[in-house]
Amino acid sequence: MIGACRTRTAPRRRVTRTLLAVGLLLTLLTAGCGVRPSDVITGRAAVSGPSAGAGLYLISHGELALVLRATKPGPGPSSPADALALLAAGPTPTEREAGLSSEVPSDAAPAKVAPSVDEPGITVTMSGAVLPLSTVAANQIICTVVFSMSGNGATPVTLVGPDGTRPAWPCWLE
Amino acid sequence: MTPWHWAWAMALGLRVRLLLAFALLGVTTTAVVASGSYFQARTVILQQAQDAAVASLTDELSKVYPIVSLPPNQEELDMLAQRLSDREGDAVVRYGDLWAQSVVNESDVLTPELRQEVAGGRIAWQRVDRHGKHLLLIGTQLRFDRSDGTSVPSGVEVYSVRSLDSEQQSIDRLAMLAWVTGGLSLILAVLLALLAARGVLRPVRELGRAARRLGEGDLSTRLTVRGVDELADVARTFNDTAGTLERQVGELRRMEADARRFVADVSHELRTPLAAMTAVTDVLDEEADRLPGDAGQAARLVSQETQNLTQLVNDLIEVSRFDSGTARLALDDVDVAAAVNATLRLRRWADRVETDLPSGVIARLDPRRLDVIVANLVGNAFRHGHEPVSVRLRAEPDWITIEVADHGPGLDPEVLPHVFDRFYKADTARTRSEGSGLGLAIAWENARLHRHAGQPGSLVAGNTPDCGAVFTLRLPRVASETVDAGGVR
Repeated sequence: MIGACRTRTAPRRRVTRTLLAVGLLLTLLTAGCGVRPSDVITGRAAVSGPSAGAGLYLISHGELALVLRATKPGPGPSSPADALALLAAGPTPTEREAGLSSEVPSDAAPAKVAPSVDEPGITVTMSGAVLPLSTVAANQIICTVVFSMSGNGATPVTLVGPDGTRPAWPCWLE
Repeated sequence: MTPWHWAWAMALGLRVRLLLAFALLGVTTTAVVASGSYFQARTVILQQAQDAAVASLTDELSKVYPIVSLPPNQEELDMLAQRLSDREGDAVVRYGDLWAQSVVNESDVLTPELRQEVAGGRIAWQRVDRHGKHLLLIGTQLRFDRSDGTSVPSGVEVYSVRSLDSEQQSIDRLAMLAWVTGGLSLILAVLLALLAARGVLRPVRELGRAARRLGEGDLSTRLTVRGVDELADVARTFNDTAGTLERQVGELRRMEADARRFVADVSHELRTPLAAMTAVTDVLDEEADRLPGDAGQAARLVSQETQNLTQLVNDLIEVSRFDSGTARLALDDVDVAAAVNATLRLRRWADRVETDLPSGVIARLDPRRLDVIVANLVGNAFRHGHEPVSVRLRAEPDWITIEVADHGPGLDPEVLPHVFDRFYKADTARTRSEGSGLGLAIAWENARLHRHAGQPGSLVAGNTPDCGAVFTLRLPRVASETVDAGGVR
């Protein structure tokens, strides 16, 4: 009985195996012809290059957005104090039209920018009050300073005003 | 062999199997090699195209710097897009919600995963199928360097959409080449298979033919041994076997011929002394009555036994003629009924036998042999069966049939196949037969000696339904000289 079963199934198994092999071969031959769609392939870091003019951070849709102003003939960032003055002055009409705004009060400038004395980082001494500044406004100032200093993005920046000192904070853009 | 059998044998034949094996091997090898190289080449082609496109876009984009003003307005974005578009690809430029005008419908083409990867700050690309066209999408942000090597995003993203049609064509050409290679290799495999099948099949066919000839009795059949492979081995073995067989059969034949010649010689040698003895016993016979008591009985016994011996020697000579193939027919046109009647009359059986012999049946046969057969059969019937014994003649267009029947106990079924054997004793207890023991054998040989259209005459033993043996003799109406030496019993 068992022997009979075995003799009956053996050829069938062989046929199945042959069919499987032929199927695999055909799949290999027919599928995968031509250009196939692919997943996303990532290469090196994005294209990057120098900027010219004064860079300052305004607000677009609640987030910081870099704005370059061609105020200077030569390439390279302008001085931090100049950039802060431009920031305090607020967006130009064109920028306002493009949906940009600023929360930095106009009395923030003039300001002095210098390396911190007792700790690594930058200290910005402003003429206006610093404690009432919103977080976004503080971030605008910090990132603008960091961009114009050509410094490290992680450099902590301390804002000092006549009313006191805000704790040091880096520019977290990403 | 039915056509189905033939087709089945062909389908399972060596040629087809070799063909299939070679074709499968060729196709598999080609498929593996061709598909392997095809995939490899396709990867290389696509990779080179992608790398070249990415490099070209990066090169173009590096000329955009230094960027002097942000945010860009619509015209600036349009200009940038126009500058980056060429005949190989269209550029899509985006700043926040602002998209440069482009021939490409960006929301349709750009995939979310690509945009996500680009937003992560790296150059990214992807192959997609859109409306049956193969496209390569490359995307990157534009960023600003900082002195410490890091960079900050400017918010501008550039995408390049390129067609991969030329690459598709190259790959199609590759595929075409692979198919052609596969087809050619298949043809080559089939040709090789046919060649190999021929090489294998020819010796096999020769072997089969030789074996058939050997089976038909041609013991001198030999094969030509070619090469040193297994088939040559088989051919050599075949030749050796055939050689041994031929030698042994030759030996047997020689021994048989020797034995027959010996019998013939002995019979001939016995004839002369027997003739002398017969002459003496004739005298003794005449004197027997006058001899007193035992001497007369002895003289009669000697005379009787001498007659028997003479009969036996004559029968032996007859048999050895059959064996040596020297027996010849002396054909004559004979009235069969008259011939049978003459036989019966000559032996004084005419009044003891019921005859049914239609007259006018003329046959061309050997009358002496007919006489021998009929006398043997009728004598046999008298000796072993009971009266009445009947002889019936029947005529057919080409054959005549003579039936000799008795009303004895009939033939034992075990005896039937041996009735015509030489010296065969139906009753083993009866060691001393009245006849020579060769009578029926000689009758059988005589019947077979008559041939018509290649078919020999026959003598068949059987039983009638109402108990009794019946011997049926069948002879051709027109017998021809036979060349058949003896017969196969």
